[in-house]
Amino acid sequence: MPLHLYLVRRILLMIPLVFGISLMAFIVANTIPADPTAANLGERAAADPEIVAAFQRKWGLDQPIHIQYVTYVKNLLHGDLGISIQSRRPIMEELARYLPATVELATAGILVSLVAGVTFGVISAVWRNRPIDFVVRILSLIGVSAPVFWLALIGQLVLYRNLGLVPGPGRLDIVLTAPPTVTGLYVIDSILAGQWHILANALAHLILPALVLGAFSMGLIARITRSSMLEVLSLDYITTARSKGLREHLVIIRHALRNALMPVVTIIGLAYGNLLSGAVLTETIFAWGGIGLYAYNSARTLDFPAIMGVSMLIAILFITINLIVDMLYCWLDPRIRVD
Amino acid sequence: MKILKVIRLHARRNPLMFVGLVICILWFAVSLAPSLVAPYGPLEQNIRKRLQPPSANHLFGTDQLGRDILSRVLYGGRISLPAGLLVVVSAAIVGTVMGSVAGYIGGAWDEILMRITEVFMSFPIIILAMAVTAALGPSTINAVIAMVVVWWPNYARIIRSLVLSVKANEYVQASRAIGASRTYILFRTILPNCVAPALVMATLDIGNAILIFASLSFLGLGPEPSAAEWGRMVADGIDYFDQWWLSAFPGIAIFTIILSFNLVGDGLRDVLDPRMRKALTR
Amino acid sequence: MRRIILFLLFAALALMFTVNVIAQEEKVLIVGLSEDYHSLDPSRAYEPGGALIHHSVYETLVTFPPDSVSEIMPGLAERWAISGDGLVYTFTLREEAAFSNGDPLTAEDVVFSFNRMKNLKDNPSFLADTIESVEATGDLTVVMTLNQPDPAILAKLVFDAFSILNAEEVQAHGGTAAEDAAVTDTAEGWLMDNSAGTGPYMVGSYEPTVRTVLLRNPNYWGATPYFDRIIIRNLPESATQKLALEAGDLHIAMDVTPDQISSLEANPGIEVFSTQSDTLIFLLCNKDPETGGPVTNPLVQLAIRYAIDYEGFRFLSGKGANTPAAMVPLGFAGVLESSEGLSRDVDRARGLLAGAGYPDGFRVDLRYPDFNYIGTSFGVVAQKVQADLAEVGITVKLVPEEFQTSLAAYRAGEQGFSLWLWNPDYYDTLDYVEFLPEGVVGNRANWTAKNADQEILDLRDAVKIETDPEKRNELFRKIQIYEQHHGPFVPLFQPGVHFAYTAHLKGFYYNGQWRVDLTQLSF
Repeated sequence: MPLHLYLVRRILLMIPLVFGISLMAFIVANTIPADPTAANLGERAAADPEIVAAFQRKWGLDQPIHIQYVTYVKNLLHGDLGISIQSRRPIMEELARYLPATVELATAGILVSLVAGVTFGVISAVWRNRPIDFVVRILSLIGVSAPVFWLALIGQLVLYRNLGLVPGPGRLDIVLTAPPTVTGLYVIDSILAGQWHILANALAHLILPALVLGAFSMGLIARITRSSMLEVLSLDYITTARSKGLREHLVIIRHALRNALMPVVTIIGLAYGNLLSGAVLTETIFAWGGIGLYAYNSARTLDFPAIMGVSMLIAILFITINLIVDMLYCWLDPRIRVD
Repeated sequence: MKILKVIRLHARRNPLMFVGLVICILWFAVSLAPSLVAPYGPLEQNIRKRLQPPSANHLFGTDQLGRDILSRVLYGGRISLPAGLLVVVSAAIVGTVMGSVAGYIGGAWDEILMRITEVFMSFPIIILAMAVTAALGPSTINAVIAMVVVWWPNYARIIRSLVLSVKANEYVQASRAIGASRTYILFRTILPNCVAPALVMATLDIGNAILIFASLSFLGLGPEPSAAEWGRMVADGIDYFDQWWLSAFPGIAIFTIILSFNLVGDGLRDVLDPRMRKALTR
Repeated sequence: MRRIILFLLFAALALMFTVNVIAQEEKVLIVGLSEDYHSLDPSRAYEPGGALIHHSVYETLVTFPPDSVSEIMPGLAERWAISGDGLVYTFTLREEAAFSNGDPLTAEDVVFSFNRMKNLKDNPSFLADTIESVEATGDLTVVMTLNQPDPAILAKLVFDAFSILNAEEVQAHGGTAAEDAAVTDTAEGWLMDNSAGTGPYMVGSYEPTVRTVLLRNPNYWGATPYFDRIIIRNLPESATQKLALEAGDLHIAMDVTPDQISSLEANPGIEVFSTQSDTLIFLLCNKDPETGGPVTNPLVQLAIRYAIDYEGFRFLSGKGANTPAAMVPLGFAGVLESSEGLSRDVDRARGLLAGAGYPDGFRVDLRYPDFNYIGTSFGVVAQKVQADLAEVGITVKLVPEEFQTSLAAYRAGEQGFSLWLWNPDYYDTLDYVEFLPEGVVGNRANWTAKNADQEILDLRDAVKIETDPEKRNELFRKIQIYEQHHGPFVPLFQPGVHFAYTAHLKGFYYNGQWRVDLTQLSF
């Protein structure tokens, strides 16, 4: 099937997917047996039937369940995700506010894992079975095996508390104010506003969380790169390149690496998706105000509209990234088509 | 004597895998009978002795209620290991059934399955786990259920692509030409070829499953609060940051067990080698 | 070209330097707090964390001195008169008082604020139950009429729910004090980011779960506070607060746990303040057989009181902790001494259980909200209860619940056996009548007139109307002794409360009502 038709088909298929996700989010939010009325009204108010009725009317809780879903979807199509019961603010607004923090963290994490991972993988493959190979392989193993929350705690304990090398929790030092919002990414916004000390501070705060988040993907990428490189390095055209007198590092970088990186593309996509959706642990420990923390808080406080909204956002982000990765894969390797 | 020789042979050929196997077996052994090795009970409180640093009496120190951390770490495997195994086995079974049927039948069912797996895979597990926990109460089994719901799509997809690649093989075509039934082909030729890669994936996955289970219990979604479970112990230790031994040792326990599963999985993959590496990277 | 670049670089550096210098001129106070409020609308205020903020932004008619709750002092009212029958209070407001937007304080604002608080029917509105009406009889005169004598009413008025808001401004943003305010008031959203108070600070911004920023009120009618800006940063983990304080990123850590004290005290740059709190941590046994199961039996309830390791809980809670003898915390008038309480007696507990028909013990679920309350971890407390009761044969299954869910069930009286806390709503022993039949907590344990002894009902009715202090104390004594031997509650401990702050900070006083007065602090 020609590429562009395949892409169109995939994009069209997103629509039922989004509906499926909205349905799943709705079901999940409604399995929770807590009664938001009792949870959100003061004691006196909850005892007053008039107020209870008004509350239920306001949040549409008095409608039968399938009508609630239909109303929800209708609002969704207008871009209205509802209002958070906890904060009384539109959820769309809150998600837009918290998402950039997670994007910033996930991107930093991916960059760290990419650079470190590919480098490690190449080193490991080129100097196979030498001591450096073992060192790198052990580091990669540690990356994939160490629990994120534990790494985060140890990192804070050693690097922040004991050695004072990195700043504390949060995206910025407590006393500083965020740069004027353009993208929501502090790094970019501070550059745009020319606030260099804020930029430096934001970058410093990113170091430890990015390292911790990127550790797992780094290990994964290193391992995949290694095995991929080993495979490629044994192929005929590499031998040809060498016999033609091409210098070794050019052989590795220009010929081997490019082809070895194919499987890494998939991993990056999966990793990025995971980082975006799975940053709950890191965000909680580092007090990072992103959607992971928002998801955790809304689930914890049983804020149904917020739970639905953030689940949908995370899920849609995930499948969008998957789609992009698939397209990238098809584009990079002309031999591969559909499935 | 012969056994020792076999062991030495394996150890030399693939030292890392051997190390992994040893650690794995040790943990399994400890988890089967922790009372034989642990100096104290996992729930034994001694308030006067709370938050003691590691000492001769308490090698890993005591926690906020005076419980011996070494004993709790040793007992921790009793919850995490079976939970991880259960998740992977259940997910693998469900996933294999769905994936192989979809891959083999193809067409519209295949498309539908792919979309369904995408929906489940993309749903944030934390929220799902919290919803299940809120609905059914926090417990090990509920956390496992939540995880299986999000876990099976991975297997379904892998099995499906394996099935597709095997389906195109000549001997399958040949089987059909001689009139073998679909079920026969599915069970006798296709599935056996999928076992090996599924096994490798599962082994590598158990570590991951234990990790996610520990993470869920770290967030308070797993077993009962006083139970000795590593993730929960690490979480409890955060409130006592100065008493680093509360979080450090359970964390190391999780680390070693995941490491060992990874090493074993790596070794398995090297053994069952080249054909499936292509399939696994997609 | 190169010269231009160099010049730009230099200019940028210079700008950076000036901006930094300017930033340092501003006096900022940074407070680390585990955020327990969701709204900054004072008429709905019910959380200790919120009290900290409301006290800096709003003011009440009367107030307490900085470090105690035993004396009523003038606030926005410079004097008041009480009628002979104790039903009519006449307040004269300060002439110089004004709101942050410049509007002067008038009696109408007081009337509006009180009525709004009452009609919103949110958490704190029950405090206004004894108030029949509030009227403005002049620009600066307010007459408050009660529907029964209430010796504690002035103490209640200090509560931040009785904060005086700028009626005009709040109404302009959707606020109303009408009877149906619970449904029609829409000012809460605006009050999240803004304030309409007379206090030394104003709300600058509120980012839920991240930070609250207070700015100095330029129109404050009283003495100018030291700090220009106060940032209250949400740091839910005590460990994080401690780390930040030690690193100099925080000036005050509000949620220090007893276990952190020794290492904080060893730090020369940090001061630690510890004192007894007024919080009562207790177990509730439901008297309704269907809900409570085995714990409904009074012998079982007594057995549990003998089974608890009180000393251990004091040890667990650390410095400043104490054990109340019954359901009144130490520090209140008429309270029993701690030594007059029950001591652990495992054998007696077992005997009582056997007498109740449970010689081999029984199984029961213990429900509790899984959260940390100012240094006390409910999870840890519950685990110790589980261990203590295991020693007398009671097998406890821990059921941690999300706070709001648990609160809803607790309020509805649906929890059979649970762990909760109580903070005084106002500083008078009368508040603890709520632990008696048909009191707020009594109801949550389904302790009604039908299943209560006549003895305790009589005591309760008598103490509610008794005005003579000596007779009151005698009645409270009798009530507490009754609670020890009968009654569905088990007092566990009264935690200490601890704060840590940088040694540079001056003017730190602890007050049970608002914890710390941020407006009195300076470097």
